Amino acid sequence: MASRLPILRRISILLKAPPSTTLRSLRPSLARRFLLRKVLAPNVSPWICAAASSFCSGPLNLPQDSQGPAAIDYRSVLSEDEYHRLANSTIQDLQEKLEEFGDIVELEGFDVDYGNEVLTLKLGTLGTYVMNKQTPNRQIWLSSPISGPSRFDWDHNAQAWVYRRTKANLLKLLESELEQLCNKPVNLS
Amino acid sequence: MLRLVANRLLGTASGVVLKRPLQVLPRFYHENVIDHYNNPRNVGSFDKNDPNVGTGLVGAPACGDVMKLQIKIDEESGKIVDACFKTFGCGSAIASSSVATEWVKGKSMDEVLTIKNTEIAKHLSLPPVKLHCSMLAEDAIKAAVKDAEAKRAKMKPSPIEKAADVL
Repeated sequence: MASRLPILRRISILLKAPPSTTLRSLRPSLARRFLLRKVLAPNVSPWICAAASSFCSGPLNLPQDSQGPAAIDYRSVLSEDEYHRLANSTIQDLQEKLEEFGDIVELEGFDVDYGNEVLTLKLGTLGTYVMNKQTPNRQIWLSSPISGPSRFDWDHNAQAWVYRRTKANLLKLLESELEQLCNKPVNLS
Repeated sequence: MLRLVANRLLGTASGVVLKRPLQVLPRFYHENVIDHYNNPRNVGSFDKNDPNVGTGLVGAPACGDVMKLQIKIDEESGKIVDACFKTFGCGSAIASSSVATEWVKGKSMDEVLTIKNTEIAKHLSLPPVKLHCSMLAEDAIKAAVKDAEAKRAKMKPSPIEKAADVL
């Protein structure tokens, strides 16, 4: 917990100070990431580059129910390795549980597919769920035929993926929606 | 590279898509998306320093989608008289923001806050993986309205000042 404070302070310094001085003062890994983002979009028009430097990887859901881009840099909240570890284990765990669920519930067109780090759950005519990782924001994105798109952040306190706008828990949301759609309870925890 | 290939496929396939019912070819973009992609409405930008212009900038290049949506407010009525957008992203993102600019014109700021991403997604028949684009468009509308309202609040003289002017 103590090690995070200096990083947060450095990030706030970066946001205030002119770009030329701050990259050197940042930790090399953070500096690399900023450079990498600019390098990745070489063909993008100037206004886009200006947008990139004027606000950091702007995740859309704010801690309080606001409706604009957030000012929080999520990279400082969760490291990339930690994020991958958590997200991968959540998604792979879900994949196994959903496959078991598929064996129990006899649904026409049921299919669970995991490829390129995207989990697709087809429920025949009832709809399709798509779940993927959104690494820059440290989020898991879900697209549901019932609740539409949602973006889950890792909540350290709850040790769960939570959608800040609705306070929904990823696993609980899936459990309740799947039960609603397939008329069979499922445990994904 | 992928984009070029996709464009060519779309170009050659669009004729085919229009003749057959769309359920048969679920992999192609819906014709509304293609229409908005080829003939985007209201592309451009307003002067963001104009006190009657609200700007909503959402998304991030790292995520693959950035949308800038601007609305011009009529001072007297508080209604949105014009809107424009610029989007960096996939065809669905471009179409979603284009639809958003069409739908906000002529409405009041309170009314446009009720526009839901589900309506945009339904209008464009977005597949599950692209529903996030419609949510981004909804967020862009909200951000633009928020900015416009903040500017209007700053511009409004306080009642005391108004009385002083009259005297």
